[in-house]
Amino acid sequence: MKKLLTAIAVSVLATPLAYADTPDDWSRPVPEHYFAKVLFDRLEWAAPDQAEQQAVWDMQAWYGNDYNRIVFRSEGGKSTESSAATELERAEVMYDRIISPFWSARIGVGTRGELSSDSEMENYAVLALNGLAPYWFEMDHSLLINDEGDAQLISEVEYDVMLSQIDYLQPRVELTTNITDSEKYDRHGGLSHLRVGLRYRHEFAREFAPYIGVYWDKSLGQTANQLQQQGQGTSDWGFVIGARLWF
Amino acid sequence: MSKVINPPRRKFIKSAMTVASAMALAKVAPTWAVPQGRKFRDQVIHDDTVNLKIARTPLTIGNKVGNPITINGQMPGPLIRFKEGQRAKINVRNTLDVDTSIHWHGIILPTNMDGVPGVSYEGIKPSRTFHYEYDVQQSGSYWYHSHSGFQEQLGHLGPLIIEPKDGDIGADREHTIILTDWTFSDPAEVFRNLKVAEGYYNYQKRTIWDTIKDIRKQGWDKTLNQREMWGQMRMSPRDIADVTGSTYTYLMNGRDSAMNWSGLFKPGESVRLRIINGSSMSYFDFRIPGLEMTVVAADGQPIKPVNVDEFRIAVAENYDVIVHPKNQPYTLFAESMDRSGFVRGTLTPELGLEAAVPEQRQISERGMAAMGMSHDMNMDMEMDGMSGMKHDMKGDMKHSMHHSMDNMTSMKHDKAVLPVEKIKIEHDEDGHGPGAAMLAKNPTSRLDEPGIGLEDADHRVLVYKDLVGAHPWPDEREPERQIELHLTGNMERYMWSFDGKEYQEVDGFVEFNYGERLRLVLVNDSMMDHPIHLHGMWMELENGHYPRPRKHTISVKPSEKVSLLISADAPGRWAFHCHLLYHMEAGMFRVVRVS
Repeated sequence: MKKLLTAIAVSVLATPLAYADTPDDWSRPVPEHYFAKVLFDRLEWAAPDQAEQQAVWDMQAWYGNDYNRIVFRSEGGKSTESSAATELERAEVMYDRIISPFWSARIGVGTRGELSSDSEMENYAVLALNGLAPYWFEMDHSLLINDEGDAQLISEVEYDVMLSQIDYLQPRVELTTNITDSEKYDRHGGLSHLRVGLRYRHEFAREFAPYIGVYWDKSLGQTANQLQQQGQGTSDWGFVIGARLWF
Repeated sequence: MSKVINPPRRKFIKSAMTVASAMALAKVAPTWAVPQGRKFRDQVIHDDTVNLKIARTPLTIGNKVGNPITINGQMPGPLIRFKEGQRAKINVRNTLDVDTSIHWHGIILPTNMDGVPGVSYEGIKPSRTFHYEYDVQQSGSYWYHSHSGFQEQLGHLGPLIIEPKDGDIGADREHTIILTDWTFSDPAEVFRNLKVAEGYYNYQKRTIWDTIKDIRKQGWDKTLNQREMWGQMRMSPRDIADVTGSTYTYLMNGRDSAMNWSGLFKPGESVRLRIINGSSMSYFDFRIPGLEMTVVAADGQPIKPVNVDEFRIAVAENYDVIVHPKNQPYTLFAESMDRSGFVRGTLTPELGLEAAVPEQRQISERGMAAMGMSHDMNMDMEMDGMSGMKHDMKGDMKHSMHHSMDNMTSMKHDKAVLPVEKIKIEHDEDGHGPGAAMLAKNPTSRLDEPGIGLEDADHRVLVYKDLVGAHPWPDEREPERQIELHLTGNMERYMWSFDGKEYQEVDGFVEFNYGERLRLVLVNDSMMDHPIHLHGMWMELENGHYPRPRKHTISVKPSEKVSLLISADAPGRWAFHCHLLYHMEAGMFRVVRVS
């Protein structure tokens, strides 16, 4: 018996490494990685047929790992008209969680409105589905619900047609649908707005690609009816020149 | 396919010598050590104690000055030469301002000498010296490299050659050729680009013109079918290398094509070339136009000689070949698998000579085999989309695949059934989660295929099916247990893992029972080739031959399944990972515990 115990003791002691766990002060062989990225998908000068010229931005920034990220996105424009305030179309902070290989779900809060002292901002909660659909359609569907309970869905789709390894033709569609009416913000239920764009861009580096393009804006449904009643146009088109860049 | 031939008759130089001339010869250095064999005077260490100094040293690489990690002032590091049966004693001094390490790739040794920070030891701190000491129980060609961060990409690596006990190398002369990929970018920046911008380094993607060309060549139907398949999967058939010649300068023994590394021989000599792929990310196709190569060892271990004209060498693999050059120069040509670049050197009877450099071939596109269909044409495969959105492509694939399937079936006709072909593969219920963008539902054995870009070669290309061990290995037991691991990835976020779980998500070990004989089944659920490396133990490849070839690194093709036999005879913790540096760093890494 004693012999057996000794044998066990010796064998255990002789192979301590096989049983010991990794000491705490050792670094992990493969560390956890966190990254950040800022992407200006559109940073452009727009020259519409009817409206005033304006500078437009559409950007996203994120920080995190493969599964969990914090996302900031913002979109807006500033007209050349000197009296015009900057129009913040959306500014959102969201938590982003990957839910399948090509899709992530986002939840957060946002604000929008004219950036001037005398106007009130519209604050809202946002739920979004962001990712890559089959056939490489880059998509974002955001559901915005403000403090009045008014709901709006904004869907964006982009696609890159590769003309060469560094030249792209990018069709882009953005559709806004009001799920509910909003008295406070003068919005009518139903389809409300469509934006279609086509941009040709040339990459000088992966990080920097200037582009030129055209776009067409169209108000829809009740929104369009109301504009017509007010004697305003319901569509406009224009040229854009700008750059897609990230760092 | 290549043919197995009898071993070439070895030339025993010494046998014809008189005692006097043998004594005279003993005074001069052996053939591998003299600069006669080298245009460039790289250091060869064959001392009792090897001293290595790790530093950052500006060096001219190609036509620019880079800042690689050097070992004893050179990059790649010196050739270390041991003799089978000796005790290896190595002092590694770290003069960097960060931790470093050296792992002895393919060497059987105690776990605490294996050199993986966080697994076998804590690494080597700045201004410290670590003393490695172990018994050299094997012979052959191997290599060593850092296992810390991205240091390997900075050139922290070198060849390690172990002479057999009898000193017979099977040739009159030998040269060691280590292939690497160098970038002037910071490797951490390369990794970030891969993580945040899918396809950053790929400048060979399909364009609209390729689609138009396809329509002209094969008609609308077939083209649309193909585009639909790839489009559904959101994958590219041109996704062959993550990091390419757009940033890499490919090097042979640290020299680019212009510097033209040259190895000398005397006409009439047989030359053993020890080719090691020390790249971080690049598979190479190696050939010597006009010269037949006889492959005599794979991953340092002897195999029955096979005559070939070209072979693919995965990252971290190594092959020894014997050639019989005539009195003329030959180009040593190593072309990257994605055809985005190459490096050449010269094997020549006289310095200054060079031979024609072959033209680079065009990039190939991955075919249907990469998608994981089975040979019974039941080609359903699943792709993950939005939750609940799964596509069954059975019908689509059948149509456009018909032709190549016929070829495949005829190819497989006379093949003996491999153990792996009888193994039923299972996927996780959740399809391995977000970390796996693809599942190969019916993975097949692809050991008889040379791989992407070499299918149509008009000469003999080595395939894994050609490898036959030179002799049986000591452990002939049947496996008692089977472990299945899936190679998974998601290019969009550059996630790489086993079974959909990155190393960071895993807390346990892959458990091997000490003393057991087990079968490891690897299933590649991704669109990339992965060189999978197990530390501390050999993997015997079940390729239908006996004796089996045994390897330290096994390259698994897209949607391929392979089976390997392992004797769990080395107690301790061992790294097990994809040897593509950025895949490993992304999480395609596990720790095997033998206890």
